[in-house]
Order: sequence, then structure tokens, then C-alpha cells
Amino acid sequence: MNLTLESIRRCFEGAIPAQIATSAPDGTPNVAYLSQVHYVDSGHVALSFQFFSKTRANVLANPYAQAQVIEPATGVQYQLSLQYLRTETEGPLFEYMKARLAGVASQTGMSKVFKLRSSDIYRVLDIHCTEPAVPESSPMPANHMPALRACSARLAKCTDLSSLLDELLAGLAQHFDIDHAMVLMFDGANARLYTVASLGYAESGVGSEVALGAGVIGVAAGQQTPIRIAFLTGDYAYSRALRDSLGEDGEKEIPFPGLAEPHSQLAVPIVAGGRLLGVLYVESEQKLRFTYEDEDALMALAGQIGFAMQLFEHNSEGGDEQPVVPALPASGAEVAVKLYPADNSVFVDGEYLIKGVAGTILWKLLSDHARGRSEFSNRELRLDPSLRLPDISDNLEARLILLQRRLAERCPCLRIEKTGRGRFRLAVERPVRMIESP
Amino acid sequence: MRAKADDPPLLSEANAAFVQRFTSMNVAGRDAQNRPALARGLGIRVSPDRRTLTVFLSTTHSARVLQCLRENGAIAVAVTRPTTHETLQFKGRVREIVPLSVGDRAEIAAYRDSVIEELMRLGYRPEFVKTVLAGSEDSVAVKFEPDEMFNQTPGPKAGEKLAAQT
Repeated sequence: MNLTLESIRRCFEGAIPAQIATSAPDGTPNVAYLSQVHYVDSGHVALSFQFFSKTRANVLANPYAQAQVIEPATGVQYQLSLQYLRTETEGPLFEYMKARLAGVASQTGMSKVFKLRSSDIYRVLDIHCTEPAVPESSPMPANHMPALRACSARLAKCTDLSSLLDELLAGLAQHFDIDHAMVLMFDGANARLYTVASLGYAESGVGSEVALGAGVIGVAAGQQTPIRIAFLTGDYAYSRALRDSLGEDGEKEIPFPGLAEPHSQLAVPIVAGGRLLGVLYVESEQKLRFTYEDEDALMALAGQIGFAMQLFEHNSEGGDEQPVVPALPASGAEVAVKLYPADNSVFVDGEYLIKGVAGTILWKLLSDHARGRSEFSNRELRLDPSLRLPDISDNLEARLILLQRRLAERCPCLRIEKTGRGRFRLAVERPVRMIESP
Repeated sequence: MRAKADDPPLLSEANAAFVQRFTSMNVAGRDAQNRPALARGLGIRVSPDRRTLTVFLSTTHSARVLQCLRENGAIAVAVTRPTTHETLQFKGRVREIVPLSVGDRAEIAAYRDSVIEELMRLGYRPEFVKTVLAGSEDSVAVKFEPDEMFNQTPGPKAGEKLAAQT
């Protein structure tokens, strides 16, 4: 039986330390313990380098090494004959390994000691199983292809971003048994990600923000790499408390919906045409919940999501023709909507609703509505100079979904209702008093 | 540099007690092309004068390492305690590789029981440990005198060479 790295990836989860043997130029062997053997691709692994060590000195002079890993369920051991190639101290692989090390360090009580200095990349020359015959009982990695296919089929039927997000989260729940998930969109102008859809939280958290580079989600976005942590990490940078990463006044913060103590986290970037669109994030209260196979499957889904988002972005601009439908008369108690132009934050009856681009859009819609209009098109918003949309690449559809969902949660008397491709209606059920703060 | 007969032994009594129970151990050698090989040790015995270490290796599970050790004798053995991460490494030359004695088999069994106890504290089942430490039926005893001992407990002092305590 020819062993492949893919077939033994569960040995690399970091539950059990691996070992590495090297040899000095004078022929003196050396054994060291490894916190992390990281699967790079079918021919390469990366080893975590944390301390200036004999291992490092040896491989720089004599690049051959042998690593030993243990299959955590059975105890079967594998030896990997390796050849040192190069060292990375920044970039996606380094950031991924740094985040994972934070999880492993917490799990083993070594948070204060473990710090990734570099990722050392090795070619895998040979894989040998210590057992004379690989035991039959050795569990095979879960096959996620049927679940991936089912999710993919659901996504393929979607015709707009809103249903795409809903189908994605429903598919993850049904086919992958994922209980907690969220999708965040990238706001390039402000170097942030904002939550546009979520699954499994008491509060949806739609509109909550994460700074690019902060935490598991921010690093996955900033480096355009998946980040998967298998253990609860005590490392502040990767644990929750994301609110502080933005350092803003709490009044205008929508609380981030995530778990207080996620024992497993997986964030995958949503990228299309090389451009970051957002992040898909899943988490669990169970350690070692997400495997390499989950990471593979979510990366594949993120690819499909990315292309669909890009397609809907270009296709979401319906025709210019505007059916003239008069605004329905509003009734009941007056609702006070106040705009703070400094950051375009909008408060409804004194409660924070939204800010930024979505706040500007709402103000424009309400202003037009006051003049008797209720039907709008994405195209006119895109072209409206008063909105100053940050960038042609900014996902207007996502901003509208964010606004629509925040209104539904916080101000149900104002509704955004889709009326066709690239068109929507603003429904106003109560009289609105618009106040612009000086 | 070889220790002289009247030098104190490299291992203290505490070192000797530490390595023989509750630990995980790995043995490295290297071949004529200076390519390293690694295997798991199935126990270690420290001689009463603490100058000789005997590490047990399975001939089927550790064939490559044993071949290296027979060819050139260069050996490194790292010993770590899973619950504390306390780690020592020894380097030296193999003096001889011999079949197990009756006492060695008892030593291997006692060591294995201690590792089962240690790893059960971390949540591992005895069957897991038995697989990790498999192959003892056909083990051999590898005797060597450690020339060097290093502290390898993770942290800033990792890699520090330790001298004999006088």
C-alpha cells in the first residue's frame, strides 16, 4: 500500500507532539519535539520552528530529516523522510501555522512558551508506517464529497445574494452538521469585514464588524488563507473579544455573535478573480471538530460562493424602467430617524441601527420616500453621486442585504422588499421624522 | 570528550529516576550518507553507576535505526514526560546491541504500565499506548554511554548542555 500525506492528515492535528531526527555535519544525530507538522500539499509539510535549536542548525547544513507522527485515534506511527527546502517568516502559511500553534499551545498549557518564529518547509521523500501492516481498523478520513455535492447543488439554484447566503448556511447545517456559522463581507475602503448572515446564534449579529487582520476571521481575510484551530485558544489575538480590536465607542457597535469559548474554529476566505470578497466562518464548542476534510470542503464551497457573488454583483443591476407605484400611506406613532453625518450612523428612536454606506443608503431612500417615491433600483444607487459608494467593486447587494436584515431585526416598520432583479421597494408603515444631526 | 572513570556520572539520581518511568522516548541514528532515522524506544534502563544507558528497540518497528546504530554507533535519545513536558536528550556511541535478558522484559512491561498510567491522565486509552509501544516481543537492548546530556524542556533554556553534578 502506497501511503499518501492525504491519508494520514489526521496525524497533523497537533493533538500529540511529533518528533524530528536530524544529523549534524559531523554525523551526530539529534532528536527534537515538534509542536506542529502542517500539511502543505501532497508533497510537502511545514514544521513549526519556535526556538533556536540544534534541529535548525542541522538542517541548514544537512537538509535530511525524519519526522515521526502518531495517528491520534489508534496510536499507529508513521515516519516521514524529509528534505528541508526553505523557511517562511510571513505570509499565508506562516499566519496559518501561527494561529494553529496558538490553539495547540493552549491545549498543552504552553501558551506563554510557544511562539512561532518561522515555518520550515520540507519535501516529503517517503512515508513509512511502523506497523508491519497498516491495521484494518485505521479509520479513513470522512468522505465529504456527498455533502459538498448536496451543498453545491443548492447553491447552483440561487439567483441572488440573499438566497445564496441562506442556502449556504442551511446547507452547512443540514449536510455538514455545522451548528454555528457566519458569512462576513469585505469592506475594502475601511479594511473591515461586516457580518451579513449567520446561523445558530441568539442574536444574528448582522452588521457586526471585524478588523482586517484581527482574530481568526481577520487573519483569514488579510492573508487569503484558511485558518483552522482545533482547540480553545487562550491567545488573546485569536480568542473572542473582537470588539476591542476595533476600539470604537460601544454605542455604535453591533455585538459580534460568535461563541464565547469556541473550541474549534475554521475561517475560509471567499475570493473571486483574486479579489477578497469575504469570509465564511464556522465554529464549535467541541475540540477537534473541524478536520482537514472540512477545510477542503469549505474552501471548495467558498470558491463557488465567490464566483456566484461576483456574478450577482454584475447581474444585480436591472433595467432603468421604474414602475410608478405610489408610496402606501403610513399610520401609527411617528418614528424618529436620526443621521449623524460624521460617520453616517443612523439611530431609530434613539437606538443604533447602522452606519457607513448602509446608513447613507437608508437616508437617501427615506429622503426620496418623503418626496413620494418607494421604488428603487440598484443601478440608480450605484450611479447616485450623493451616496459616494466607496468603490465600483464594493458589493452594493451585500450592503442592501445588511440594511434589509438590520431593519427587519431593529425597525420592522421600515422594510426593504425585493421587487425584481436589481429592484426593490421601501415600505414605510409608520410616519417618519427625519432628523439630521448638526 | 569521554568521561573518565573517576568523573561523576552525567546523570544525577533524579535524572536516572526521571527517564525510566512515565516518559516517552525517541531514538535517532544516521546512515553512511548522514541521513537520520527515528524510532520509538520501548523503555530505558540506567545502570547502577548511572554511566550506561540501555534503551530497548523493536527490531521490526525500528529496523532502519538499528541498522544505522550497528553501522556507526552514533545515537541520540530524547526522553520527555507528557504531562510536564520536561525533556532530556542524551548523545553518545553505542557499545553493544544484545538480546533481551529476562530482567529486560520485566523492565519493558513496567515501563509500559507507567506510560499507560501517565497517558490515561491525558485522556488516552490503554489500547492506544499499547499500539504506540508495540513490537516489544522482538526487542533488542542497545547499550550506550552518554557523552552529552541536554535540557530540552520547551522554553528559553531548551538546548542547554547539562554538566555532571559534582
